[in-house]
Amino acid sequence: MDFNLTKEQSDIQKAAQEFARGEFDPDQILEYDRNQEFPRALLKKAGNLGFLGVHYPEAYGGQDLGLFDNGLITEAFCRQDSGVGTSVALSDFGSEIILDYGTEDQKIRVLPSLAVGENVLTTALLEDGYSLAPLKTTAVTGGDGYRIDGHKAFVPLGEFARHMIVLCQGSDHDPYAQSAFLLEMPTSGIGMTTMGQKMGMRMLPVSNVVLTDVQVPLESLIGLENRAHEALRAFLDKARIEAGAMGVGIAQGALDRALDYSKRREQFGRAIVAFDAIRNKLADMCMDVEMARLIVYKAAWSVDRGKPDSRFILMSKAVGVSTAIGTANDALQIHGGYGYMTEGQIEHFYRDAKALGLFLEPGQRQKNLLADEIIGRK
Amino acid sequence: MEILKYADEHRKFRKQLRTFLEKEVTPYVEEWEKTGVVPKAVWRRMGEAGFLCTDVPEEYGGMGRDFLYSVIVTEELANTYHTGLAAPLHSDIVVPYITSFGSEELKRKYLPGCVSGEIVTAIAMTEPNIGSDLASMSTTAVEDGDHVIINGEKTYISNGINCDLLVLAAKDPCVEDSYRAIDLYLVEAGTKGFEKSKRLSKMGWHSQDTAELLFKDCTVPKTNRLGPKGGGFLMLMEKLQQERLMCAVMAVVVAEKMLDTTIRFCQGQSDFGRPLSKFQHNQFRIVDMATEVRLGRTFLDKLIADHMEGKGIVVEASMAKYWTTEMASRVADGCMDLYGSYGCLEEYPIARAWRDVRVMSIFAGTNEIMRGIAAKFMGL
Repeated sequence: MDFNLTKEQSDIQKAAQEFARGEFDPDQILEYDRNQEFPRALLKKAGNLGFLGVHYPEAYGGQDLGLFDNGLITEAFCRQDSGVGTSVALSDFGSEIILDYGTEDQKIRVLPSLAVGENVLTTALLEDGYSLAPLKTTAVTGGDGYRIDGHKAFVPLGEFARHMIVLCQGSDHDPYAQSAFLLEMPTSGIGMTTMGQKMGMRMLPVSNVVLTDVQVPLESLIGLENRAHEALRAFLDKARIEAGAMGVGIAQGALDRALDYSKRREQFGRAIVAFDAIRNKLADMCMDVEMARLIVYKAAWSVDRGKPDSRFILMSKAVGVSTAIGTANDALQIHGGYGYMTEGQIEHFYRDAKALGLFLEPGQRQKNLLADEIIGRK
Repeated sequence: MEILKYADEHRKFRKQLRTFLEKEVTPYVEEWEKTGVVPKAVWRRMGEAGFLCTDVPEEYGGMGRDFLYSVIVTEELANTYHTGLAAPLHSDIVVPYITSFGSEELKRKYLPGCVSGEIVTAIAMTEPNIGSDLASMSTTAVEDGDHVIINGEKTYISNGINCDLLVLAAKDPCVEDSYRAIDLYLVEAGTKGFEKSKRLSKMGWHSQDTAELLFKDCTVPKTNRLGPKGGGFLMLMEKLQQERLMCAVMAVVVAEKMLDTTIRFCQGQSDFGRPLSKFQHNQFRIVDMATEVRLGRTFLDKLIADHMEGKGIVVEASMAKYWTTEMASRVADGCMDLYGSYGCLEEYPIARAWRDVRVMSIFAGTNEIMRGIAAKFMGL
């Protein structure tokens, strides 16, 4: 047992932190957030310097590293800025499905361009609730391919994605008989509309996707027909770890800012960091961040060593997110009136943390699944 | 037994106001949230219809009505899911300084306009480096013959852009005791040396014109001072009780409103084949929130009754301000969770409410200050 990062890991962490500090311009960030704009230029820079897709094999533009290492980069980016960090981390949303289940051709076509920040991948998953089985979007076999019809919601970066994975119901008889398809955009029959302004994670616009009589060739199928639900579950696990890393990063960034501000801000003749109530709050925040980090790290580590720990994976997003929300909330309070102002920066950490909690699936969903694990029903 | 005795007159007033807001305010909220300010004409219509400064005595153009009318206005405004038309700030927080402490001349000059909406008011206490610690403020008011010359900077001032008249807290540098050095002055917008320098962009309250104000050798007549020389700090302390109580009114009513909206959403929205309101986990969360809201309402109504009887409720008002504003934040958080991904979309009013409620734990004295006041008055 060893709680230390390896030399290579701490180098990656340091490099990612330095990159984020140097390249994430605070004023530009406020513009991105205000305009609900995806930070494309930063994605490209991060890709050029090798910060994206480090967990892909080298053959696909990656660095043969683990999910843990990828998480360290996500954490470092989110620590510097919650908006840039989350949107960059989600620019390859679904890549693990291709990585683990895609054909050689699909991997070559999609992954290298993600790793250099050239393209964006998204996955159309949710419909009108959180139920993922059965799906209402259907894929019907016909001729030399499939026909897809349905409606997907909350598709992240839908408007920017070069590729989109679509999860479909393959059969009425079995709710888990699902197939996944890799679509290159634009594809005829796909209508994409924005879901409008968001309260947080504004650099990651989400779309409604309407699929009407979309014809896709056989080779767009990812993995086996009607067996994609398993791929989906495996992907969700990885997404939960990634979300956990975002949460830890946001929380750490909020704590950094709260510490810095409370040392500088003076009231009643002394720095507010000298007040008991503030000191205790900072100590609580620090405890929460470290607890969340341990859980997220263990979850990622368990996947990389080939023995995924379902409990820790399920805890990962829930704990990461609740810590991010709680810590950012406390940090905002410590900033006082300045904390509520856009220029104070911390308010968007708080909004992004809450939005992360609402992204993909609510915390309650993971708790239900965790309860299944603990009780042993599955 | 109801704690607050609403009469038919109150109910009639509430109904009229509700109709007014549905017609004159609600349809324009989205627009004001974008432009960042409520047109002055709307303030005037509020005034003309008799919904501003209801407590001002008839001799100054008001109706001399009881505090319940103020409560009603605050409650009904919360139903519009926006904060720009900050009538409670004007009517129940700022103007009372003039009504209570203004000279006869000042009252005659300004109060009728405050009632009619011709004059929108703001109060300036906070400075860039001074928030909770009022006694350390650095804005100065130096006496010079019949005038005072004001220099300094104020920030986070609600109604800052719209205001025609400002209640300004400033310090006489010649007075050593920093508490006795503070005075309140009325400063008209347009006075030379008074500049509304910047509208501030914030997490919420987008329709509210919060601003930075700048004073450079701004000269006002000495007679614009409220109350006796050196009495500023005591006046603030006296009036802050009502300000804190108003915050609690806003917090409780917005929590009630968010919860109502969310319950309706949960009854209409299904997941996994049944309405969200039928899941035990969701039910318990809703009940938890409803319990907190009821506790807040009961505590608040009792304090309103005490306040109307003229009782000193410094400790309780501080408790109510911090507890109800934090409760409103907890309710906003819980409601967002029930909305799930939809809560993230600005299209749903809950998203705006979540952004808006957060500031309540900070303004009108941070909740840390509220706890500190309670501790002090409890003799701890």
